[in-house]
Amino acid sequence: MSETILKTTNVSKIYGSHKALDKVSIEIKRGMIYGLIGENGAGKSTFMRTIMGLITVDEGNIELFGETGVKGLQNARRKMGQSIETPALYPELTARENLKVQAANGGVSGREIDELLQLMNLTNTGKKKVKNFSLGMRQRLAIATTLITNPEFLILDEPTNGLDPSGIVEMREIIHRLVTERGMTVLLSSHLLDELSQIATHYGILHEGKLISEFSKEELARETRQYIEVESAEVQKAVVVLDELGIKDYEVINETELNIYERLDDVALINRSLVLADVSVSRIGTTRQKLEDYFLQLTGGTKHA
Amino acid sequence: MLNLLTAERIKLFRSKKLWIVLSILSLLPIYQVANSRLAVHYGTKLSQAIDTVINGATGILMMEKNALTVLLVMSAFISFFIGEEFQHGTIRNALSLGRSRTHYYLSKLATASLLTLVGVTLLTALGMIGYSVVFGFGEAAGIRNYVSFAVQSFCTLTLLILANVSIYVMISFLTKSSSISLIWSFLYTIGTGFGAGIFQHTEHFKMVTFWFTETFLFYFNFAAPADIARFPEMVWVSLITIVLTTAVGIFFFKKTDIK
Repeated sequence: MSETILKTTNVSKIYGSHKALDKVSIEIKRGMIYGLIGENGAGKSTFMRTIMGLITVDEGNIELFGETGVKGLQNARRKMGQSIETPALYPELTARENLKVQAANGGVSGREIDELLQLMNLTNTGKKKVKNFSLGMRQRLAIATTLITNPEFLILDEPTNGLDPSGIVEMREIIHRLVTERGMTVLLSSHLLDELSQIATHYGILHEGKLISEFSKEELARETRQYIEVESAEVQKAVVVLDELGIKDYEVINETELNIYERLDDVALINRSLVLADVSVSRIGTTRQKLEDYFLQLTGGTKHA
Repeated sequence: MLNLLTAERIKLFRSKKLWIVLSILSLLPIYQVANSRLAVHYGTKLSQAIDTVINGATGILMMEKNALTVLLVMSAFISFFIGEEFQHGTIRNALSLGRSRTHYYLSKLATASLLTLVGVTLLTALGMIGYSVVFGFGEAAGIRNYVSFAVQSFCTLTLLILANVSIYVMISFLTKSSSISLIWSFLYTIGTGFGAGIFQHTEHFKMVTFWFTETFLFYFNFAAPADIARFPEMVWVSLITIVLTTAVGIFFFKKTDIK
């Protein structure tokens, strides 16, 4: 069983009468890319800040690298890197100087600065001050600053926020490389399930401060996979036909609907077989539950995600 | 703590703010020497009681002569130096690495204090050199042991200024914003400065004013024997101010949620 990097138990944060976090319990194991999804104001950033010790928790317990308590967590946080919302950089300094500052903060040498600048495609920035960087460059530099201390656990809050499509793809590739090449564990957030689905291995949905659902990449794929939807008044007879065709992966939804999850290219054959067996088919076709519909189904909200 | 100070050094040397502060504190004595020279040229006689600094020997009191300017410059510097860390979110970079908030606070206080020390030393040294060149070194009226007086007055004035630096650092950590910190620091300096002048005329509140370092900086004559006798009191007030404001600042900073 792989090592637990982060375990929170019933973490709550209350601002006045508003519960920003309500008994959030999450466990992240080494090697996971854990995607935290939620609408704006769901509590994603608040949760991440509690992990980083930037805000205090009112209830609950945080365990990081097996450490708890003020001192234990302080030591464990040295193995962490973070980039929360907007990139936190010194605008008057260059990329290299920003990395030097963070190396000093972390008490590490700046040996890796050149390598990180190369990794993030920032080698040609020279004496250009960060205030003159594009948002994409700043995001990449923010990640580079988190990497200078060689963290084992990376927290990225909406890392693709404000990026153009090519910047989003680039950021996704960078995160993938960090996980595969450096063996990092990542906790990242987004309000877009679709965006996270392309990178995360595990998911948690935060809604109004509560963790309402957790699932793996496989479970998400299963929930949102493509299938053949059959609508018929004679579902029982249809099931017999499917059995005769050797189709095993199907699900009877109700008395008039069933979903078939295999042989998605054989819609015409299945339809013909049903008709030949005297099954009246009112509708048949391939469909897919959209990720955003799935998210809304879980949160019970209107379309935001 | 040393790591945090190293980070501060990198930031500070690349910061325009440092060079602006040092430029102001370097140009100020040069301007004042030139101003005094012109005044004498046009027939004005310099008086120690009014002008505070009239020659190289009294140049040691440059801090007293420029107390308000030094305080306003330092309060502005500290407001930006600390406030911007909150506003740019860069404070998170150090704290999320598990750095102690107490160490972070103390590293900022130490950096601000060190810069103040360098700044006021520069101001005093350039003042002494400038006034010595133009008016001669001369002497401080009524002072028999000049070296002892110079050391005591310089240390006391520096401590009084550092006490204010400590207050500005506390204000910056409490307000978490450059502009709001700037306003409160200015209000504090001007309020306690003018307030002391008003309250000193009252019987009951006169004593209270001696708990504020501005009273000594703005209303005392550091070359007068009666006021020199109160140097130990000034040192105590400064030290107590530094300890109290640092304790209060760290206490609230530890409880602060950082956005």
